[in-house]
Amino acid sequence: MSPYHSPDLALTDDANTDVIPGTLDMLILKALSLEPMHGFGVSRRIEQISRDVFKVNPGSLMTAFQRLERDGLVDAEWRQTENGRRAKYYSLTRAGKKRLGVETADWVRRVAAVSRLLAAD
Amino acid sequence: MRTSVVSVWRHLTRGLQALRNERALDRDLHDELSHYAEQLTNSKIAAGEAPDRVRRAVQREVGNMTNIREGVRASLWETTVSTAWADARYALRTLRRNPVFTLVVVLVIAVGIGAVTTIFAGANAFLFKPLPGASNTGRLLQIDRITPNATEGTQASYPYYKYLRDGSKTFSDIAAWSKVDLTISRGDVGRSAYGSLVSANYFSVLGVKPELGRFFLPGEDEELMAHALVVVSHDFWSTQLGADSGLVGQTIGVNGRPYTLIGVAPPAFIGVFTPLKTAAWVTLSMQPALRPTRSRGVNASWLWTFGRLRDAATPQQAQVEVAALTKRYAQESEEEKWARKYTFARTIPLTGLPDDAHKVMAAFLAVLFAAALAVLTIAGVNVVAMLSARAIARRHEIALRAALGAQRSRIVRQLLTETMVLFSVGATLGVLMALAATRAIEHLPLLTDEPLVILLPMDGRVVLFAAILSLIAGLLFGLLPALRSARKDLQTQLRSESAGSGRRRPIVSNVLVVGQLALSMVLLVTAGLLVRALQSGQRTNPGFTADGVSVASFSSESWGYDMPRATQFFEELRTRIEALPGVQSVSYATTIPVTLQNSGIHVTPDGEYASAADTASRHLIGTNNVGADFFNVLRIPLIQGRVIGKQDAAGKERVAVINETMAERYWPKQSAIGHTFKSGDDQITVIGVVRDAKYTTLSETTAPFAYMSFAQEWRSDPTLIVRSSAEPPTIAKAVAQVIHGMDSALPPPKVLTLPDAMSFSLIPQRVAALVAGALGLVGLLLATVGLYGIVAYSVGQRAREIGIRMTLGAQRGDVQRGVVRDGMKLAGIGVFIGLLLAVGASQMLGAYLYGVSPLDAPTYLAMAALFVMVTLLANYLPARRASMADPMRVLRGE
Repeated sequence: MSPYHSPDLALTDDANTDVIPGTLDMLILKALSLEPMHGFGVSRRIEQISRDVFKVNPGSLMTAFQRLERDGLVDAEWRQTENGRRAKYYSLTRAGKKRLGVETADWVRRVAAVSRLLAAD
Repeated sequence: MRTSVVSVWRHLTRGLQALRNERALDRDLHDELSHYAEQLTNSKIAAGEAPDRVRRAVQREVGNMTNIREGVRASLWETTVSTAWADARYALRTLRRNPVFTLVVVLVIAVGIGAVTTIFAGANAFLFKPLPGASNTGRLLQIDRITPNATEGTQASYPYYKYLRDGSKTFSDIAAWSKVDLTISRGDVGRSAYGSLVSANYFSVLGVKPELGRFFLPGEDEELMAHALVVVSHDFWSTQLGADSGLVGQTIGVNGRPYTLIGVAPPAFIGVFTPLKTAAWVTLSMQPALRPTRSRGVNASWLWTFGRLRDAATPQQAQVEVAALTKRYAQESEEEKWARKYTFARTIPLTGLPDDAHKVMAAFLAVLFAAALAVLTIAGVNVVAMLSARAIARRHEIALRAALGAQRSRIVRQLLTETMVLFSVGATLGVLMALAATRAIEHLPLLTDEPLVILLPMDGRVVLFAAILSLIAGLLFGLLPALRSARKDLQTQLRSESAGSGRRRPIVSNVLVVGQLALSMVLLVTAGLLVRALQSGQRTNPGFTADGVSVASFSSESWGYDMPRATQFFEELRTRIEALPGVQSVSYATTIPVTLQNSGIHVTPDGEYASAADTASRHLIGTNNVGADFFNVLRIPLIQGRVIGKQDAAGKERVAVINETMAERYWPKQSAIGHTFKSGDDQITVIGVVRDAKYTTLSETTAPFAYMSFAQEWRSDPTLIVRSSAEPPTIAKAVAQVIHGMDSALPPPKVLTLPDAMSFSLIPQRVAALVAGALGLVGLLLATVGLYGIVAYSVGQRAREIGIRMTLGAQRGDVQRGVVRDGMKLAGIGVFIGLLLAVGASQMLGAYLYGVSPLDAPTYLAMAALFVMVTLLANYLPARRASMADPMRVLRGE
């Protein structure tokens, strides 16, 4: 665990739809695995794919991006938007891809274990 | 998450970038969040939501950009750094606003840190620092040949050295050296140089590289007198040879013969016996030319040896091997019988100090270090008291910050930062103080004709030590006040303080104050005992009259004089000096009394000749070879018989004048005159008995001692001793002129007065008394200031009570007495505990307390009295101020 890996518990205002603690990084990596995108895009994708079960707040997202960037898992690039704003686009690095694979496998294994535990009488 | 090196590196560089340009990070985050808000808005509008609802939703999510920014920043490590920096700047501002408080605290810290750092610099130089100038010193071991029970040791003979060097597999190479007096000349006047005779591999074993030219090559020490080569120290080259690099390869005079100067050693290297500065090195094979009278056959023991361990070998393996080699050598070699008892050898790290001196030094420095730590502790307690008092004065500021939502940890961190700033400034000043102190010690005038050198470099290790020390001290003494002032209950307590009732917690517990007083009492008593020891040493009657005597030592061998020439020279010198105005008597001796020099021989008195076959009947006695008139010059009273005179010349009957102790020990209840004793094959007749005197140190217990005739036991390096009514500088100048007049090539002599030369033997006592005295006074001062602070604070707290009592008719005197009584209770307990501790501590000083009991009552009484007086003053001043205050104003002020 990196020491900077602290509060990524994302509480949104209106619903009990926080991202499960410790999974935000994985979800971001997954979202970026399809194509490079900006912060809002990542947030949107997580919400859509999870069918609004998870909601990501911008504070946690920005903190996570800083962390992932410094860990070398994502690359960032500034692009100009049509109306002259600066937008920051994130993309997955090779290390990021590898990490996503590891974390996914790990997650699947753990979820399966928890499911078995819950299924047992 | 796994953290790779690359990742750490990226975190570090990115963090540093962010630190350097904090606004860039803010701008990036701002832009990114703005873009996020825009996208969010667009998407909601596209989904057909009402504009004002969209605005509110966006506002809710990304509205407080500052908060988000702070959140992101809090997750980054560099934020901690920049917060600490901000804290430090805030602390500096606060401290600048209270210059008096800051100055006092900084000074107190500086004194404490400075004291410990100075002593550490000493320990560093004498104990921890590897041999200066050598490389990879951890692999260098000194080899001492000793008896198996380690009670006696001997130097190595050349054959033994070669046996070790050629037989050892654990050492890559072993070197040998000995000391030699040299006179180096460049055509004109000679210059005295403390020299070493060394094996050719000496420099390579030490790993020293030449600054100029070259060092000795393998084999250049093999053939006797074959290679007249000399290497000089950087210091000698630059101060005596004019730093002339053209001299390398040229011929210069060494002890009257031409030598080739082949190289200059690097500045840091001053030989392997570092209390003395070695000026020049010559190969071992030149010994017969340089000191012919010391070349006593091939099996003479005259060398010290050290070696460099092979990479694969451990010191333990070397020890085992060297011990085995020595045992075999003692059995197989053709040494004299006396040498065969040294069947063992010991390997110890090569440090620049002989092993026994190293131990003495370590014990000495440990005592001083403990004293310095006591001073630092006293200083630290004072700082705790001052910080606590100040925290109470700042309670409003702290309460305000707490009310504004600062977390307790944040306040503690701020207060701790302030303390650390105080300690860093104090420590910096302390290091400067230590620097001044070590420079002062290095430049102490040492009255000796040896090239003695004290180097206490403030190197990186010392500075690092000071930094760590102040960090620990800062945390130790700063954390307590910081935690206490940030405590919530303290704040509630303060809020209700106007009620003014009940007992208040003292700012520093009385235990600390008492401890502080006791510690400084221990320091004072220790210092007092050492000063008394020094006085007693100076008062000791040496058994001769040193006043009016001047001494000058010579090394005629180093002038290239052979024995007939030297004998003639010294005889003529005596005649010429005797003719000088004011000179009363002149003589020679081989050792100057009470200057730490000694020489001794094993003797068998005539009563034991029958049993003299084994060594059991050999007794060690001290000796000095003296000329005619010696007892006259030093005014040592003759008790019986006659003194040594001109008739006791070489070839005549060997004679000795002995001291009373020797006469009583070997010839009790009879006259010793006419009796004989044997030293080796020589039989010596006692011709006189003189009064006991001190010979090596003032503190020694008198042992048997014999004065031999200088003419019968000639040495090439006598000391001229002159009794004169002329002023010492006049006589010194006259002696130098006479010598220059006799041979202008001789180096100018160093003429000392005998009292000055003798004061050298008291240097350990003097240094101990000086350092302990300084520490004791500083400790007393600090403890008194601490006590004053406590009393003044408690008086301030009780101002209201005192006011009420005074309006109710209490007399000024009563009030003062009351306050003083409370303070003196603390002081009394402190003195009492201090005295008890001092009794324990003084037992450890045993070796330094010449002529003074560790329980010397006058010292204890005087120090207790001094202590009581000073603490009375520290109590009386605040008491007086309190009782002088107008009670009405005090009461109204509440």
